[in-house]
Amino acid sequence: MISRDVISFTQRAVLFNRLRSGLTSLGIAIGVAAVVILTSMGEGLNHYMAVEFSQFGTNNIRVAPGKPETMGLGPGIMNTLRPLTIEDAEALGRLPYVVATTPNRIGRSEVEANSRIRVSNVIGTGPDMADVFQLEMAAGQFLPLDDPLSPRALAVIGATIQEELYGSSSALGDRIRIGGSRFRVVGVASPKGDLLGVNIDESVVIPAARAMELYNVNSVLDITVRFEEKAPVDEVVASMRRLMLARHGVEDFNIATQQQMMEVLGSVLDVLTIAVAALGSISLFVGGVGIFTIMTIAVRERTQEIGLLRSIGATRWQIQNLFLSESVVLAVMGGVMGLLLGGIVVAIVSVTIPTLPVRLSVPYIIAAELVSVAIGLIAGVAPATHAARLDPLEALRTE
Amino acid sequence: MRLFDRNQMAMTAVVRYPLRSSMLLVAIAIGVAAVLVLTSLGEGARLYVTSQFNSLGTHLLFVMPGKNEVGGLGGMAGSLGGSPRPFTLADVRALGRSPYIDTTTPMVMGGANINYQGLERDIGVLGTTHTMQRLFEYEMESGRFLPELDLDNASPVCVIGDTIARELFGNAEPVGKWVRMGDRRVRVVGALAQGGQSGGHDLDEAVFVPIAFAMQMYNRESVMRMMVEVTSDEAMVKAKKDVQDIIRARHFGHDDITIMDQGTILNTFNKIFLVLTSTLGGIAAISLAVAGTLIMNVMLVAVSQRTAEIGLLKALGARRSQIIGLFLTEAIMLSLLGAIVGVLVGYAAIEFLRYVYPLVDFQAPDWAVVAAVLTAVASGLLFGIMPARHAADLDPVEALAGN
Repeated sequence: MISRDVISFTQRAVLFNRLRSGLTSLGIAIGVAAVVILTSMGEGLNHYMAVEFSQFGTNNIRVAPGKPETMGLGPGIMNTLRPLTIEDAEALGRLPYVVATTPNRIGRSEVEANSRIRVSNVIGTGPDMADVFQLEMAAGQFLPLDDPLSPRALAVIGATIQEELYGSSSALGDRIRIGGSRFRVVGVASPKGDLLGVNIDESVVIPAARAMELYNVNSVLDITVRFEEKAPVDEVVASMRRLMLARHGVEDFNIATQQQMMEVLGSVLDVLTIAVAALGSISLFVGGVGIFTIMTIAVRERTQEIGLLRSIGATRWQIQNLFLSESVVLAVMGGVMGLLLGGIVVAIVSVTIPTLPVRLSVPYIIAAELVSVAIGLIAGVAPATHAARLDPLEALRTE
Repeated sequence: MRLFDRNQMAMTAVVRYPLRSSMLLVAIAIGVAAVLVLTSLGEGARLYVTSQFNSLGTHLLFVMPGKNEVGGLGGMAGSLGGSPRPFTLADVRALGRSPYIDTTTPMVMGGANINYQGLERDIGVLGTTHTMQRLFEYEMESGRFLPELDLDNASPVCVIGDTIARELFGNAEPVGKWVRMGDRRVRVVGALAQGGQSGGHDLDEAVFVPIAFAMQMYNRESVMRMMVEVTSDEAMVKAKKDVQDIIRARHFGHDDITIMDQGTILNTFNKIFLVLTSTLGGIAAISLAVAGTLIMNVMLVAVSQRTAEIGLLKALGARRSQIIGLFLTEAIMLSLLGAIVGVLVGYAAIEFLRYVYPLVDFQAPDWAVVAAVLTAVASGLLFGIMPARHAADLDPVEALAGN
């Protein structure tokens, strides 16, 4: 029997009972679709975070207090004995390749203006922040270049704050009270939404030194350093480390490039994606049970046919191939159907719910297809072997 | 056809094809067991958090400076920066005088480096009072917990977690030794037993110091949060109001604190875990849909194999609804059996999980068990209808002839 015969035999077997073949494949298809959809959510989230991070360019480095090995939010984020100061930010700004540095200090205070009060986020930062985070102004200007250690009491307010406190009238030039201190509004930011976890629209932006004064703290939370796009990253990090060591005496700071931060985040999301893929695979497994059952039934029903084939000279090996290829074809059909089904669902979701990030994950799609082929093979082995072992005479005689 | 006859016939059909029936059972059982095991993970996590919380006693209030919405990053900004008016130790002392309040446990958290004979480590610092031990039932490896001090007393003493004790002192006794935290010298008065974990803090890496000491060290005048033990469950409402009134009076009429009781916090947790658990259960339930396609397939095969039998029944005068009933009974019987096997396997797997992780009380929530069984039976019914109707629509003469 040549391979062309195997193909036509398989084709006829699959097409002979279309409903049955379709249902068997549908089982696998549901499993594959589940994996495709679930992993596309993980991948979408991953992509969303990457875009969120790199929307400001990839040439940012974050300096935070605390030892190098403490990644993420250590206890130092609340209180620390190793202050990172505005002077540190200034010194970092004088390094070669560095184009901007912004010290950051966030808090929450009552903002009183136009005889209305609203509790909002307070972001203490430097004049470069608007550039670093691409914040655009709806009116007025961002914080001006002042002496960073004793800046004027000026504030930029977010879009929601403007809306809630002033409505449609202009806030520019007005005096507002932030946590008891008076500030003058110099700018209103355009609506921007979340910026790395803090809602800018719900915030007032004031000079870092003023925020430290307001909250009576001696340390900024972190310093964002932006360097020239084509500058060698390693060299910039090394020079930053040298400078900070010289200033602090000990390595009580933590320098993380954007790349490193994204990698940490990415690895967390990868684990999540693997987990949901594994959960989705339970369905694939059940689909495999389906193929096994149907193939077993098929062998029973076609016992006579097998006996005939054997008696006209087909080898066991060929009989086995015949049934194995049928079960693989069923699985592959399921895989393709599942991919289409999953792809359609993902497309519909991404169109109808734009806020939910979904994105097809090619590696997982390939993995799901390979797994479905493997399932077809594994589920088919036992029935195919059974068919091959049938005694030709006995088989011919059965009804 | 009587009900008994119908069940009898369906049962015979199930038994007559053992391989086919058992594969169907396996498929459904996998789905049901997966639902049970996965939801038990979520439920186990929820129960773990709840029991951790309830071990604190039931009449606790949590007070935080700033009027924050619960959760979210707005809350985070508040705890990072501070609120407009500080929540001071004087406020804490005033609250302690309320007749409805038993103890007050203020907290300040932060990071520091601890240093002993050249060995240095980064640690989490928890400034609090001696009442903390009573709330969380900390066990001591050696020495004692923070002594009972006046709130303002910034005695340089500390209690260290197990990892810190081992890293800095090795096998030597830490109690009585002087360590350096930042630029201050502190005497170790106690070491915690290993494995403590409470309220999301890893106690093995933590150092406890008196609240006033921590506030001096970090140069802040506001407490970050406070736990209030109310005298009795009945006094909760009054205590809550008292806290609000006292703070309002002391803060010039501003309600600038957030008060939460365990109920509110637990509710938030429960909601999060419910979403998690039902998502896990839902993903597992997809496999029940796959099992459904198998039910349909197998029932179709069954119908085609028993064509002659159907023809005979019809010739004997069986009505269409009776034929449908016959095959539906078989489908439902199979899926119900599968569901029962699945529940048994699921419970066995959960027992195994409990054996491996005795700390967590894994158990499938009742609603998940019911939902899994119902979904299995429903898919048996749903996917059984088409083959059953197919059987009922057979022409009796043709069917009898075996075509």
